[in-house]
Amino acid sequence: MAAYICTRFCINKFKDSVRFIPRRYRVKSKWAQTRPKFPSTTIALQNFDATYSIQLGNLWPSVRAAMLSEQKYGALINNFSSTASLITSELEAEGCIDFIGSHQHSEDSMPLHTDSAEVDVSKHATHEPRISPDIKCLVFPQGDISRFKPSRQDSSGLLGYYLLDAASVLPVLALDVQLGNTVLDLCAAPGGKTLALLQTHTVSYLWANDSSGSRTARLCKTLQSYLPRENLEENKIQISSFDGCKLGPIEEKRFDRVLVDVPCTTDRHSVMVEDNNMFNRSRTKERQRLPLLQIQLLMAGIQTARPGGEIVYSTCSLSQLQNECVVQQAICQAQEMGISVQVQDLGWLTRCFSNTFFFAPQLSVGELVLPHLCANFGPIYMCKLRRSN
Amino acid sequence: MFTHACRRQIVRWMWRWSVCPMDAGRGHMSFCSTRQEHLQSSHTSQVPQRPGAQLNVRSLLEMGFSETQADEMHEGALKSRGKHVPSILTVLLLLGLNPASILKIMQKCPEVYSLKGAEIQQRIDNLRKLGLVEGSLQRVISHYPKVMVLPIKRVNMVSRLLKEKCHITVQQLTDILRDSPEVLEEDLARLEYKFQYAYFRMGVRQAEMVKAKMFRLTLSMLRCRHCFLERRGLYQTPDKKGQTLILNPLLKDFLCVSEETYLTQVAMATAEEFHVFCKLIEREQEEEFSNEEQELGDDDDDDDFDEKHWKTGYKRDKK
Repeated sequence: MAAYICTRFCINKFKDSVRFIPRRYRVKSKWAQTRPKFPSTTIALQNFDATYSIQLGNLWPSVRAAMLSEQKYGALINNFSSTASLITSELEAEGCIDFIGSHQHSEDSMPLHTDSAEVDVSKHATHEPRISPDIKCLVFPQGDISRFKPSRQDSSGLLGYYLLDAASVLPVLALDVQLGNTVLDLCAAPGGKTLALLQTHTVSYLWANDSSGSRTARLCKTLQSYLPRENLEENKIQISSFDGCKLGPIEEKRFDRVLVDVPCTTDRHSVMVEDNNMFNRSRTKERQRLPLLQIQLLMAGIQTARPGGEIVYSTCSLSQLQNECVVQQAICQAQEMGISVQVQDLGWLTRCFSNTFFFAPQLSVGELVLPHLCANFGPIYMCKLRRSN
Repeated sequence: MFTHACRRQIVRWMWRWSVCPMDAGRGHMSFCSTRQEHLQSSHTSQVPQRPGAQLNVRSLLEMGFSETQADEMHEGALKSRGKHVPSILTVLLLLGLNPASILKIMQKCPEVYSLKGAEIQQRIDNLRKLGLVEGSLQRVISHYPKVMVLPIKRVNMVSRLLKEKCHITVQQLTDILRDSPEVLEEDLARLEYKFQYAYFRMGVRQAEMVKAKMFRLTLSMLRCRHCFLERRGLYQTPDKKGQTLILNPLLKDFLCVSEETYLTQVAMATAEEFHVFCKLIEREQEEEFSNEEQELGDDDDDDDFDEKHWKTGYKRDKK
């Protein structure tokens, strides 16, 4: 995600250049002096009020207020930059904490989840996967609303850190990439999670794919700004812009780890930004077909995973239809194809980071980070599957 | 009855001064300061000082102050070097305030010492004209003595703004002056802005505003409490017909109450959430304000959604 730009009341006035590209990708030119009577953000909010108030119950007002307020960012430190340690100490001097590195010293700060406070982390040390020590993501403490400054280039032209929603790093941590693993990122753009994957230094080969050509170009640019040229060689990283659903049968049983970060209704974006809003009337059919597309992408991800490989499915929506339902449907469809997948428990992850993020209690499958004013990250849903055959 | 006693006392003093000017010459006048001995020699050759020019403890005791009260009053008067303190006290006593209240008033607002009795009387009469009758008038003066320091012009400007621009009725104006006299000190543009915020952004009408004593609050507090509820989905701006999809809480139910009550009963949120929210909202406002200024400079006529909403029906000449 890019650095913070307030686009709430942004009206662009560029000359309209008509080309044969989908309408929503064209540069917007607003001729109207007044705003539309029912902006898409209002429609999105009404939609969420109807569904999430039932789904989340008493938690919905807090989540709603947090989604309508400015979100909190985290700074993913670029280990490839020569100034990484300098930047880390600078940010720590401003009060930031690396929430990944400090998860074991979490007794002092106030837990957002009162029930998980007493659980002893060491008890689960034997069961839980090791959290990659190389991924460093700094955030300001709870209740601190300071902003990060845009990152600067170092002497070799690489940027020091990448600003993103800190909760976006959690699916990458859940994926738990081991040394020498090959990784497929099925919907990689704009590249935040891809960058986090590369920070682990354990990936032997990464394939980053995204169905949209323009977004893939953006992904390329991002990786070029953060990685030195030797790490972008073809034997280490491949970037493509195929339709992810079609990759399933082609690249069967090839990857150790697959990250499926599917396109979704991007709830937070939908209630704040009018441009390219998913709830625009012209995108209604696209939005209604989303769960189907998500199931297809997850299926493709399952197919490309080798037996024993792990798949992490993630979205940035709160909707059950796009989260738990998709996972359960994909598991059924995989079973019909003769592939057996098991859901892996991510409780260790929520216990580690319950002091930084606000997790939704008791989901049927997977974990959900809820936006909360004191920890305005998310919404992020993630679910880990393991293919056994 | 007490007023009667006061009036008699006052008449007695006035009689004393007019009948015995020589006493003044001997320096042993009722209201001489403690520096009597020093002044005595110079007094004999001078014209007798104007009555009420100076204050002494004995006269305060005669007015009805207790010893400690009289001492404190005297000290206060000396410190602020007020020249017309007796006339001030006269006016306040005539109003029916007892000595204890008067002392409290002077301690709360020492600027009163530097006024003249006649000025105060004029201002009180002006407040009476605005509808503050006996009972309310005394209460307002006791709780908010600064109202006597404000010039009549200022008070009338505020009243005119409320009546003409905000369409507040005379009775409502009286209620506002009684419940939130601080409104008289507020910057006129901010006051109008606050009213517009409540009227257009919150969809509240004047009667409800007055009942909720809204004018007591600062704009930022009003905005914090309102936006917090709005973003939680508990408050909705009514549409053109005044309808909402949900039942909005009454203004007095969330403005007049303490923060704790507001959080537990109305917003149903934690204090940490609310404090973080207030900080965020403040920052948003600062940025919108600086963006607005920039836009004005660019001669861009793209408007804020809120601004457009407000331009209907109200003349924004403060731009």
